[in-house]
Amino acid sequence: MNTQEYIESGILEEYALGVLDEAQCAAVERYAAEHPEVRQELTFIQQGLEAYAEAHTQTPPAGMRERVLSGWQAAIRETPAAAPVLAAAAPEAVVRSIASAAAPEEAAESRFNWMMAASVALLVLSAAANLILYNRWQQSETQLVAIQADQSRVATTMQAVEKRLDTRTQELAVLRNEQFSALELAGTPAAPEAKARIFYNKATKAVYVDVRNLPTLPEGKQYQLWALDKGKPVDAGMLATTTTAGDSLQQMKDIASAEAFAMTIEPAGGSENPTLSTMTVLGKF
Amino acid sequence: MLVQRLRDRDESAMTLFYDKYATALYGVILRIVKREEIAEDVLQESLVKIWNSFQSYDADKGRLFTWVLNVSRNLAIDKIRSRQYRVGSRTQPLEESAALRQAATPTFRPEHIGLQEMTNKLNPEQKQIIDLLYFGGFTQSEVAEELNLPLGTVKTRARAAIKVLAKLIR
Repeated sequence: MNTQEYIESGILEEYALGVLDEAQCAAVERYAAEHPEVRQELTFIQQGLEAYAEAHTQTPPAGMRERVLSGWQAAIRETPAAAPVLAAAAPEAVVRSIASAAAPEEAAESRFNWMMAASVALLVLSAAANLILYNRWQQSETQLVAIQADQSRVATTMQAVEKRLDTRTQELAVLRNEQFSALELAGTPAAPEAKARIFYNKATKAVYVDVRNLPTLPEGKQYQLWALDKGKPVDAGMLATTTTAGDSLQQMKDIASAEAFAMTIEPAGGSENPTLSTMTVLGKF
Repeated sequence: MLVQRLRDRDESAMTLFYDKYATALYGVILRIVKREEIAEDVLQESLVKIWNSFQSYDADKGRLFTWVLNVSRNLAIDKIRSRQYRVGSRTQPLEESAALRQAATPTFRPEHIGLQEMTNKLNPEQKQIIDLLYFGGFTQSEVAEELNLPLGTVKTRARAAIKVLAKLIR
């Protein structure tokens, strides 16, 4: 193969791309060293790839030059720094072993000294290890406490969420149940803005109240729900503060039959008979 | 000059080296690893490696830039192979790389040729193969498999592509 054929074979391109194995690379380098025109061609190829690489030049992130250069410096300082420590330790050991070999009668004592030194060293190492392990254990302990606290907080939250979900599921069941008839309670002239709704199940006698808007109560007062059965008021229970605020549905006392429902403002705990002057909402079937 | 100072372990020469080559090396590394913070790490590792193994650079065998490019490229490729990285990015189209979105700025070569210009000279098939081989760390057989082409076609296209690039230099 002459040099022209060699150039055209494509092996130089493969060499520049780095796809040849070591032996092939060495062969190309040898051939290029012997043939200037091959060497020249290879230089062109490499320059072509260099230009292609350089065409991908990027604007580096701010501060990269300082970070990279100082990182490089730190890295190259690190490696030689470890060497002197090892170098310093070695001669000492050599000196001692020569001394013990030179005086055989002192060998036993020397060996004893060595063993002493070794045990002290081991003791120190062991103490250090204990200290490290103790610290780690303490850390783990702290972490464990923190995690347990976290865990119980999550559990509490979860319980609260589950309870809320339970309430909502029940409410949804009431709203979707066809046996319940809805009754709008409209505001009386005393409270024209007031509005509430009753869900009444004639079959099971269950009563739910849903507050849309009720005037704020004076201190020590509570809303009481009444069912009117054949003109007679029947206590249907007291509204909880959350119900009054319109937060959720509340199940009231069971009512056997009713032609109307009304709410009055009563002293906290309720009254036996409604205070008609404080009637806030009223609705008839 | 720079080579001699680096060979003499003159640390200030590394600053010169950086100013001359780092943005180009960074561009190539970023093209391969695709994430800026990783590219910066790899660039730093490259400088360390170039410094520590500078005695293995033989000016008779090739140009300094080619040598340092290969050091950086190999580290970057090792990086993407060392991470799970590869699974996700293997089939990702190369066109999505940040490298193609940013205009190149000339650094040390007066006759600098822009990426656009080079890309125009290469046909898309050639460019794809060069990018996979040069920036993807793929072997020619892997490229053949990836692109579902006969190995011979991959070789032909790779050679043709490099010939185009080399012609731009003359």
